[in-house]
Amino acid sequence: MRIGTLKTSYAADEALFDTALQRGLLVALLVAAVVFPFVASPYWLFLACLCAINVASATGLNLLTGYTGLVSLGQAAFMSVGAYTVAVLEIRLGTPFALNLLIGAGLAAAIGILVGIPSLRVKGLYLAIATIAASVILHFLFSHWTLTGEARGLSMPPARLFGIAIDQPFSLYWLIMPVTMLMVLGAANLLRTRIGRAFIAVRDRDISAEVLGIPLLRTKLTSFAISSFYAGLAGGLWAYFFRVVTPESFPLDNSIFYLAAIIVGGMGTILGGILGAVFMTLVPELLKFGANWLTPIYPDALSALAPVRTIVFGALIVGFLIFEPRGLVEIWVRIRRFFHLWPFRT
Amino acid sequence: MTAFEPNRRRIIAGTAAAAGAMAFGFGRASAQAGAPIVLGGSIPLTGVFAFAGIGIHAGIQDYLKILNDGGGIKGRPVKYVAEDTAYKVDASVAAFNKINSQEKVSLYYGDSTGFAKTINSELDRRGTMIMAGASFATELNDPKKYPLQFMAGPDYTEMFGILLRYIAKEKPGARVAFVYSDTEFGRDPIVLGEALAKELKLAVVEKIVTPPGSVDVSTEVLKLRRANPDFTIFHGYVLAPIPEFITQAKQMGMRSAFMGTFWTMDNSTVQRMGDAAEGFMGVMPYRYYYDRDGSAPMLDRIRQMRPDYQSTGYLQGFVTAMLLTEAAKRTLDAGKDLTGPNLKAGLNSIKDFDTGGLFGVPISIPGNSVPVGRIYRFDAKAKQMQPASDWIKL
Repeated sequence: MRIGTLKTSYAADEALFDTALQRGLLVALLVAAVVFPFVASPYWLFLACLCAINVASATGLNLLTGYTGLVSLGQAAFMSVGAYTVAVLEIRLGTPFALNLLIGAGLAAAIGILVGIPSLRVKGLYLAIATIAASVILHFLFSHWTLTGEARGLSMPPARLFGIAIDQPFSLYWLIMPVTMLMVLGAANLLRTRIGRAFIAVRDRDISAEVLGIPLLRTKLTSFAISSFYAGLAGGLWAYFFRVVTPESFPLDNSIFYLAAIIVGGMGTILGGILGAVFMTLVPELLKFGANWLTPIYPDALSALAPVRTIVFGALIVGFLIFEPRGLVEIWVRIRRFFHLWPFRT
Repeated sequence: MTAFEPNRRRIIAGTAAAAGAMAFGFGRASAQAGAPIVLGGSIPLTGVFAFAGIGIHAGIQDYLKILNDGGGIKGRPVKYVAEDTAYKVDASVAAFNKINSQEKVSLYYGDSTGFAKTINSELDRRGTMIMAGASFATELNDPKKYPLQFMAGPDYTEMFGILLRYIAKEKPGARVAFVYSDTEFGRDPIVLGEALAKELKLAVVEKIVTPPGSVDVSTEVLKLRRANPDFTIFHGYVLAPIPEFITQAKQMGMRSAFMGTFWTMDNSTVQRMGDAAEGFMGVMPYRYYYDRDGSAPMLDRIRQMRPDYQSTGYLQGFVTAMLLTEAAKRTLDAGKDLTGPNLKAGLNSIKDFDTGGLFGVPISIPGNSVPVGRIYRFDAKAKQMQPASDWIKL
C-alpha cells in the first residue's frame, strides 16, 4: 500500500510524473510507441495516426470545455481552418510543413479568439449555438472561396522532409505521433500554471474567479485561443494525412464527435480526452472484426451485422454514460486506487 | 579448360536443382491458376448512403456468384472482400488499408468522391489495382489525373449532357432551370452544363442552389415560378427537397417538366415522391430491374436470382463488378500481369461490349466513363419509371 509521496526538492514537487511506477509506465509507453510502427501493418498504423489526430483535437476541446467550462461545437470548424491553411500554403508557396502547421494553428487560434468573444455574455447551450453559427460561416466561406477550391476543395502534395515525401502511414506516424505527444504534454503542463488554474477557477465559478482577480474575458479568450490552436494543429495534421480538404471534410458531426469523446473519456482530465478519443475512433473499427470472424460461418455477416454494429456502438456510449458518468478515466482511477490501497480495499 | 565430368555428386545436385526448379515452377503455375483475384470494397452499408450501399453490396456479390459459378476468370475465382464505411472518408481509407493488408487486391470499389480523390495518389503509388465506385464526379473523369479510376456510367456532366440533348430534341430553344444542392456533388455539373445548354441553344433561365435535404423551399419555388422554365433539372439530392419543390410548383400552376440524375432515379425513391412523382423524368445508364424491352439476358438472370425488385444501386454494383472483372479477364487474356496500368489498358480495350442488356446498347470505355444513358419518365398508373427516349450515346 502506498502511504504517501515524500518529496525532498522543489524539482520533485514540480514533476509531472512523480512516482517511479509512473515514470516506468511512461518509458514503457514510449518504447511501445517507437516499436509499434515496425511491427504494425499499414492498417493499424493508419488507425494509430487517426487516433493521434483525434486525441490532439479532443485535448484542445477538453481545455476549453472540460477545464474552462465553455461548451463549443466549433472544434471541427477550427480544424478546417488549420487544414485549409496548411493546404493553401503547401500548394501555393510550398513552405516547410512545420511552418505551415504553425501558421494554420495560429490562424485557427486567431479565429478562435473572434468566435470566443460572445463567451463573456453567453454560456452553456447559448455559447454552443454561437460556435455552431461560426462553423456555418466558416463552411460557407470555404465552399465559396476560390482560394480554398470552392465546393471541390483542395488536393495537396505530401509533406516533405529533406526531399523525402511523408505520405505513408509509416512516415506519417513519425510526424503525427510526436506532435500529438508534445501537445498532450503541453496541455498537462499548462494546467499546472497560473493560466490553467485560472481556467479551472472560471469553470468552477466564474464570479468567484473574477472576485479573486482573474480577468474573465482574457481567460476565456485565452482558453478559446489555445483550444483552437490545438484544433488548427490537428486539422493541419489531418490535411497532411488525407491530402484532400473539402468543405465536407469537417462537418458538424465531427464537432459532436469530439464533444462526445471528452464526455465519454472524462471531461476535465487529460487522460479522459485521450481515452475518449481513442475509444470513439477505435471501437467502431474493432466492432467490424465481429463481422470478419463470423464470415466463415455466416457468409454475409458484414451486411447483416452492419446496423447491429451501429446500435452496439451507441449502446456502449449510453452504457458508459449511465454506469461510468465520470468517463472512462474513472475506470483507470479505480484500478490505480486498488493497487495503491492493496491489500486493503476501498 | 576443364571438361565437364559428370560424377555422382554433380548428378545428384543437378537433379535436385532441376526438381526444385520444376517444383517451384509448377508451384507458381498452380498457385497462379487457382489463386483468387481479389475485389476489395469500401461499401457504405450504414450511414446516409446506406440506401444505395446495401444494393451495391448485393449487386457485386451476385455478379461474382454468376462469374465464379461459371469458372471464374481463366479458372481463377474472384474473391470479394468488403468493409462497411458508413460513408465516411476516414473509415473508407481505413477499410482500404485493412483489406490491402490482408489481401493482394487487384480491383476495388470505392464509396464516395472524397474517398476516390483521397486514395487515388495511393493507387498510383501502388500501381497494383484499378478502382471504380459510387462516384460519378466529373473531376474523376480525367484519365491523366486519375489514371487508375473509372465509373460504370456517365459522369454528372455527361448525365446533364444526355438530359439537355433530350430537351433540345423535344423542344428546341427550351427554357431550362437548374436546382442543385450546395455541395460538391450538387455543384459538380453546373458550370459545364450551362455551357452545354448554350451550345445546344437552350436558355438556362435560373440556377437555384439550396442546402442539401432542405425542407422549406417556398422562396426558391417562387423564384422558379418567376423564371417559368420548360424543364427543371434537380441535381445533388437523393429525395428531399425534390417532392416539396414539385408539389409547390404544381400547386402554383407551373407546367415545367421535372428531371433528376442517377442517384435520384431509383424506382422506389421516385415512388416516395407521392403525387409529385407523376411525369418525373431523369437519366439512367442502365435498364431498370423490371424492363422487358429488348434483349437483356443478364436482367433475366438477375430476376431469376432475385424475384423481388432490385434498386438502381444494385444494378450499379452489378455492372461495376462486371466491368472490373472484364478488365481483369482481358488483362489475363493478353498474357499480362494484373497491375494497375495493365488492368486499365484492359478496361480501355472494351469496345462495343455487350453487358447482357444492362446498358441498352453496346458500350465502349475509351476513358474513365461510359457516356451512355436513356431518359425515363414515371408512369403513376404502372408505378414505374418507363422509357421516354432511345439510348443516347455522347
